[in-house]
Amino acid sequence: MKMRSPTVAVLWEVWRVTRVEAARKLALGTVAAMVVLALSSSAREIIKDSTAAIALVLIVIPHFAGWLSTAKLNSGRPGFPLFLHYTRPVRTTVIVGLPMACLTALSVVIYLLSALLLRLTSAYAFPLLPVAAWVAAFTMIVLAALWSTRNWIISLVVMMFAAAQILGMAMRRLTAVELPDNYDWPPRLWPTLFDFPSTDYAVIALIGIASFGVAIAGVRRQRHGDGWVEAPSAQRGGLWAWLVNLFRIPCPTSSATRAQLWFDLKSNGLPLLTIGVALAIVILLLSAVANPIDITFADEIRAHLSCTIDDCFYARAFPVLITPLSLLVVLFLGGNAFGIRRKQGRTYVSAFEATQAYGAARLTLLKLLVKSACLLAAIGAIAVSVWISLPLLGDAVFVQMWNVPLNSQVSPIKSAIAAFEGYELLALAVVVIIGVVVWVAAFAVLGALWTRWSRRANVAVSSLLLFGLALAFLAVAEHNGIMSPFVIDAILATARWAAAAAIIGATAYLYRSCLAEHTLTARYALGALLVSMAFVAAWVTLLRAVGVQFAGVSWTSVGSMLLWSVFLPLFASVLAPWSYSRIRHL
Amino acid sequence: MVETVVDVHDLSRSFGGKTALDGVSFRATAGHVHGLMGANGAGKTTLLKHLLGLLRATTGSVRVFGVDPVRDPVGVLARTGYLSEERELPEWMSVDELMRYSQAFHPGWDASYARELLDTFALDPAKKIKELSKGMRAQAGLIAAVAHRPELLILDEPSSGLDAVVRRDILDAIVRTVADDGRTVIFSSHLLDEVERMSDHVTLIHQGRVALSGVLDDVRGAYRRSRLRFLDPFDRPPVIDTALAIEGSGRSWSVIHSGSLDQFRHSVSARGGEIVETRDATLEEIFLARAGRSRSQMEAA
Repeated sequence: MKMRSPTVAVLWEVWRVTRVEAARKLALGTVAAMVVLALSSSAREIIKDSTAAIALVLIVIPHFAGWLSTAKLNSGRPGFPLFLHYTRPVRTTVIVGLPMACLTALSVVIYLLSALLLRLTSAYAFPLLPVAAWVAAFTMIVLAALWSTRNWIISLVVMMFAAAQILGMAMRRLTAVELPDNYDWPPRLWPTLFDFPSTDYAVIALIGIASFGVAIAGVRRQRHGDGWVEAPSAQRGGLWAWLVNLFRIPCPTSSATRAQLWFDLKSNGLPLLTIGVALAIVILLLSAVANPIDITFADEIRAHLSCTIDDCFYARAFPVLITPLSLLVVLFLGGNAFGIRRKQGRTYVSAFEATQAYGAARLTLLKLLVKSACLLAAIGAIAVSVWISLPLLGDAVFVQMWNVPLNSQVSPIKSAIAAFEGYELLALAVVVIIGVVVWVAAFAVLGALWTRWSRRANVAVSSLLLFGLALAFLAVAEHNGIMSPFVIDAILATARWAAAAAIIGATAYLYRSCLAEHTLTARYALGALLVSMAFVAAWVTLLRAVGVQFAGVSWTSVGSMLLWSVFLPLFASVLAPWSYSRIRHL
Repeated sequence: MVETVVDVHDLSRSFGGKTALDGVSFRATAGHVHGLMGANGAGKTTLLKHLLGLLRATTGSVRVFGVDPVRDPVGVLARTGYLSEERELPEWMSVDELMRYSQAFHPGWDASYARELLDTFALDPAKKIKELSKGMRAQAGLIAAVAHRPELLILDEPSSGLDAVVRRDILDAIVRTVADDGRTVIFSSHLLDEVERMSDHVTLIHQGRVALSGVLDDVRGAYRRSRLRFLDPFDRPPVIDTALAIEGSGRSWSVIHSGSLDQFRHSVSARGGEIVETRDATLEEIFLARAGRSRSQMEAA
């Protein structure tokens, strides 16, 4: 491509860096929303309305993540990511303004395309310009917060404050009309609810100008030496690096396994656990102070929302909203167990780690176990915090938000667990532990496959997404009588058996390949088989414990369930070392 | 009998259609320093990565200590020290943690040698890797690579981008490693004076192929630089047998040539010229003649 001017060159670079993420944002949001809408197309009106609301959330959510692909250029650290332009004869306003405008416009276009597609494929009038304008505002705030400073605390606080303000405003706007026996923002009210006042657009314009100004000022300072060198060393690597340095455990020298365990715990596991514990403490503290806050500001809340103190709350909503977000955060951080690095858009395994005298299978196992143990502990900390917090919040919050008296269900859950025999509790523990390890392994494998064969991995994931979308549409077609149930059953059965055959074939092939290459030993293979059998036994025990009866169920269903429970951990146990070996020995 | 530490046979490797190595064969014997020369992008790093098992041989074979480094990485890496060109070390570690971590993988770690090198390089063990300068990183990486007294030391551009003092320190440490009986060093560099000073065997890689390989003295002895004078002037470089590179104008020309001097003299006489002066070629002249000729041929094509 011929670059006719610096402007074209900057735009071209932004496009090259973000195009895959843009496609993903568009595809994931739209496909997920379409699947949700398609699955509920035959449901009752109120369910259809609520899934339309979920679909709207699904196409907005990708824009809350910011532009991760540009952050990768900085290895995830705050600061201006296109710093290579500093030495080029281009004004700071251009190198900041162009990417900012480009990314904001991309976010808006992605949202508008998603909303238009949903409008076309459903009967709902998904809002266009009003939401797109706020998406643009949020994108600009996030970009300014990330680019204008190299201090992650400032970036994080600004982004959290902006997200809280926009979410708060959205909640206030959307719940302005109270509807009995319904949630507060059904699609029939959208044209009214999303008819934002014109002052909004003035505010959004001001946000845009302010974000641009702040970003220019910040990047100008970075361009002229306010760089990494001047920043305190603890801040240079971001939050994760700060957490890595938090634990001062001496490296053991007695064995390679202990040293590698120390390496993975310090660099990968303990930071995750610390974040999980911190989130658990935040949930607990918020729950403890939420009731007194709501009581203190009861009059003010009532002035805005016509409700009584029992079903009227503000502060108590925060721990309820933060809990699923916390779980998502720790589950997301549970990925990258292999420690794959990113630099200027390149993904790779550190040559330092790859050249340590340690076998691929043992290294993979160690990395997965460390990450899984820390993820499990982090989830456990959040679960304990929620368990303690539930009585502090009361039932009204959950009834109002989700129509579920969650607090009242604590006792039945306690009784159910108390009724478990010892071996059933053991089975529950086995299923949870292996489930978490498989989750961590799946993420690590995906990362490795993306590193090794990014194009093929993108094609495979896109194909699976399209297949899911096609299935959802087929289900709708069947329900509306367009397609015979026999055909859809045949397609589903074929897909199920094809997937089963694929997982068996792939497992056998990978074991053969890994044993031939000496990546795996026969001892490891036997261990993996035993773990898989333990998982099946635990799974069946758990199903029986919760009252699932196998009598009367077709043998194909039982066989399919058993097959998946055996092969899923077995497949993960061979795919993980195989994929790690592929990125260690390219 | 001389023990073969590294044996690469007919190794080829392409990256997205670009050939990085094309039928490379290379042997390194125990107790010698092997210098890999070549221009940037010639394929030196790709070859070294194959020796470490970081790249899988798709065509040909790689054996280090008689085993495939991909099939048995532990067997090879336990006996090997490596310093990468990028000096890629975990930035969050302190120098002391780097030493302790590296020590755990090598039972033969020589703690007193590591301490001595730390003192020589004046490295603060409490300092984080991310706080070190480029030269200090290279020094820390080198200590981690040599302190376990590896049988094979692989260094990829060990002194690239370093100042003269750090460069001398690093080369001295390598020399001391070599001084131990039976140690083998393979290092790549585009600094030919460094290769000439350190190596006893040299291999020139050019455009993914081995352009020349052998004992340094033999290589130097096999090439000469001669100054020629002709009776009649030439507009274009005269064609002379065994000449690799020729430069000059009119009646005076300088030639890098290989093969027997008699044959060369005969060819020059046949063109109406005589050898005014002749001497052994330097490694740099040989390198430029071997690498440069192909380049000019390519340009002409």
